[in-house]
Amino acid sequence: MRALNIAATGMLAQQLNVEVISNNIANLNTTGFKRQRAEFQDLLYQDQRPVGANSSDNGTLVPVGVQVGSGVKAAAIYRITEQGTLLDTNNPLDIAIQGRGYFQVQMPDGTTAYTRAGSLQLSATGEIVTADGFIVDPGITLPNNTVAVTVNPSGQVLAQIAGQTTPQTVGQFQLAAFPNEGGLEQLGGNLLRETPASGAPTTGNPGSTGYGTLQQGFVETSNVNVVSEITNLITAQRAYEMNSKVISTVDQMSATLAQMQ
Amino acid sequence: MNDASTVALSAQLAALHQTEVIANNLANLSTTGFKGQHLLFAQYLSQAGDGTPLAYVQELGTARDTSQGPITQTSNPLDVAIQGDGFFTVQTPLGPRYTRNGHFQLDADRQIVTSQGYPVLTDNGSPLVVPDGAGQITIGADGSVATTRQGGVGTIAVATFAKPQAMLPTAGGLYTTDQVPQAATGTRLVQGSFEGSNVEPIIEITRLIAAERNVDYTKTFINAQASQTSNALDRLGKSV
Repeated sequence: MRALNIAATGMLAQQLNVEVISNNIANLNTTGFKRQRAEFQDLLYQDQRPVGANSSDNGTLVPVGVQVGSGVKAAAIYRITEQGTLLDTNNPLDIAIQGRGYFQVQMPDGTTAYTRAGSLQLSATGEIVTADGFIVDPGITLPNNTVAVTVNPSGQVLAQIAGQTTPQTVGQFQLAAFPNEGGLEQLGGNLLRETPASGAPTTGNPGSTGYGTLQQGFVETSNVNVVSEITNLITAQRAYEMNSKVISTVDQMSATLAQMQ
Repeated sequence: MNDASTVALSAQLAALHQTEVIANNLANLSTTGFKGQHLLFAQYLSQAGDGTPLAYVQELGTARDTSQGPITQTSNPLDVAIQGDGFFTVQTPLGPRYTRNGHFQLDADRQIVTSQGYPVLTDNGSPLVVPDGAGQITIGADGSVATTRQGGVGTIAVATFAKPQAMLPTAGGLYTTDQVPQAATGTRLVQGSFEGSNVEPIIEITRLIAAERNVDYTKTFINAQASQTSNALDRLGKSV
C-alpha cells in the first residue's frame, strides 16, 4: 500500500503550496514585499525491473524498465524579486528603490539587515530610521531646524534649514546588492539577512552601475498579483483533492482485498 | 491455489502497482518539469499442467509521457521553460544530469545554478557565470544568455537523445543516461516562465477508478472460485 504514502506526500506538498499562497495574499499591502513560489521535486524512483537488463539468454535487453516513484517533496520556496509598483505617497521620507539594491539597516544586536521597504521615519534625535526604529546605514541625522528634506535619485540627502537659502547635504544613502538575492534569509518585519548562499554584499551609491535609483515620496508596493494567486490557490486545492481521492480509493481497494475468501 | 486464482492474482497485483504509479503522478501535479508515467502491461503466456494456455499479466515497463507541460509565467528572469524536445544539462557531483526543470538562480559565485545548487552547463560544457554589475539578464529563444551591460555570457545547452524513454529518472527531476547528447533543433526557450507538470488529473483519476474496479472484479472472481472449490469438495465428500 505504498500508494497511500505517495498520496500523503502529495497532500503535504499542496498544503505547503496553500501556505505560501496565503502568505502572499496576506502581504498584498506590505511595502517592499516580494511574492514567493513553492518549488517541488519528485522523490527517488524504485527500480522494479531495471532498464537494460537481459530479457533472454541471447542478450536481448529490456528497452524500458519498471520504475515507480515515491512521491514529491518541497525543494525550495523562492522569492520572485520582480520590481513592485511605485505608489505616490507625497511623504518626503517614503523612499522607494527603483531597480536593484537594498537599504542597509543596523540591527540592535550590531548585525546588518537589508530591506526594500523604504517607508522611513525620524527618530527623537533626528536620525533617519525604519518604521521599527532601526537606523538606516550610514546613519543620517537631520539638523534640528530642518524645514524640508530632499532625497535625490542618486541618494544624496539635502536638508533645507530654516533661515538659509541653499539646502545642505547632510548624508548619502548607500545600497547593497547581492549575487544571489534569492539566497537571503527572511527575518520578518520586511528585513532580510545575508547568508553563505546569498554571497557577500557589495555597496554603492544609488544610480551607479549595477544599483537602482531612489524615488522620494513613493513606496514600493508588494509585487503580489492577486489574480494569479487566486488561480494558484484553486489549482492547489484541486490537486489536494485529487491526492485525497487516491487515499480513499486505495483504502477502498484494501477493504476489497480484506473481503477475499 | 488453482491456476484461475493465480491468474486473477497477477491481475490484482498489476492493479495495485498501477495505483502506485498513479499516486506518484498525482503527488507531482505541481512539480516543475515533471513528466507523468504509465505502466505498460503484457500477457505472459504459460501452460497449465494439462496444456491449457494461461495468460498472466506482466508489467513490461513504465513509459514516460513526454508531451509538453503547460508553460506558466512567473516573471522571474531566471525561470526558463523548454518549448519542444530537449533537456538542460546540469553538472552534479555524480556527473552530468539532464532536467526539464528550468527554475534557476545565481549562487554566491554568480553562477547560474538549479534549485539544488548544480551549475547549468553551456553548449561547450562550462558553467555560466554572470559578472557582477552586469545588469539585467536576457535569455533568448536559442538559449543565449545576454546581460544589459556586459554582453553575452554563453549559451545554455539544450540536449536531446535518440531514445528519451531509456533515460532513467532520479530524484529531483533529474535524468541520467549513457546516451550521447545531441544539440536540439527547433526547440525554444521561454524566459520568465516554467514548464508545469504534464499530468492530466482527469485521466489519472479515471485510471485510478478503473484500477479500483479491476481489484473489485478479480475479488469477486476469486471468491466465486473459492466457493466453487468448496462446493465441489462438499459434493465429493457427500458422495463418498
